[in-house]
Amino acid sequence: MKCSHYRSSLLLLALVFFFMGSVTSAQDNKNPTIHASSIQILMAQSDEVKLPIEFQLALYENLIEQIQKTNKFQHVYRDGDPGASSNTDLVILHSNVYGFKKGSEGKRQVTTVAGATQIKVHCVFTDKTGKSEFAQDVTGNVRFVGGNLRATFDFAKKVAQIIVTNFQ
Amino acid sequence: MKIFRVFPIQLAATVLLMGVGSLAAPCLAQDANTGNAISFANTKEVLGLDGLKHNVTGTLAAENGSLVFTKGKKKIAVPAASITEVMTGEDTERAIGGTIGILTMFAPYGGGRFLSLFRTKIDTLAIEYVDTSGGMHGAIFILREGNAAAAKKALLSQGARTSVPAEVEAEAQAKPKEKQQ
Repeated sequence: MKCSHYRSSLLLLALVFFFMGSVTSAQDNKNPTIHASSIQILMAQSDEVKLPIEFQLALYENLIEQIQKTNKFQHVYRDGDPGASSNTDLVILHSNVYGFKKGSEGKRQVTTVAGATQIKVHCVFTDKTGKSEFAQDVTGNVRFVGGNLRATFDFAKKVAQIIVTNFQ
Repeated sequence: MKIFRVFPIQLAATVLLMGVGSLAAPCLAQDANTGNAISFANTKEVLGLDGLKHNVTGTLAAENGSLVFTKGKKKIAVPAASITEVMTGEDTERAIGGTIGILTMFAPYGGGRFLSLFRTKIDTLAIEYVDTSGGMHGAIFILREGNAAAAKKALLSQGARTSVPAEVEAEAQAKPKEKQQ
């Protein structure tokens, strides 16, 4: 008797979680407003903070890789690619790093709570004329497992998620 | 009887020489000033080379006017003339890394944390290059300590460009160490 009661409550809980998931996914898919067939990713700028070149390059390369994985665009152009200028349905991603804290992998592994690496980036999607279509601040972190450059991977994954949510 | 006394000394000397030999192995040929081929074994390509996965260990070489990264049968070449920036850096990594390193985190009594204290110094080499269609690329390599400067010199001798000369960068990296002392 007690067992069946327990089972039914578990079932109820599972149902609640199932519907919560479907509601959030429906909310996520509610407003894919921007349409573009191609994207050009520009090299990250860091006017306000001094960003080591390896982080700048890792940001750029991880962004390209993660955005390609979304399959939202027919072409993902790199910075400087002249092919992008001939494309009419193009959106350009500008990233400006405004916060950077280089942590320590050793500290993270020894203490768990200290030594986090964090990169704060202001991302702006513009059209070819430079008109802003969408802007958002994104933070990349690495708190426990992985090297410092993993923060750039975390950032790129978040940007890819933003693209999935906001682009048709 | 004398033979038995000499044998342990010979054995120790052989072991010592084998150890020194393995230390010398990373650099197969070193001649950055003359522009001849120079290669660095056990170099990790962190990311950025087309056709290769991340964190692949292979041999980095500067030869015939190109940067060449070889992993088994795969050979990726980047023309040195297309390299617009070469920068070096220093960092550390866990002495015991990879899957075993992650598994040690589950060791009892903080054993994994203790092992994290043992770290090896590494050099990083970051390059920025342009592909045939004009698109910008970036690649990052991890080399053994002390090899990045030589790799940079070798790449520059092959035709790569940089905004910070190798000597200036070496001085800048040496300054913090002097302050610590």
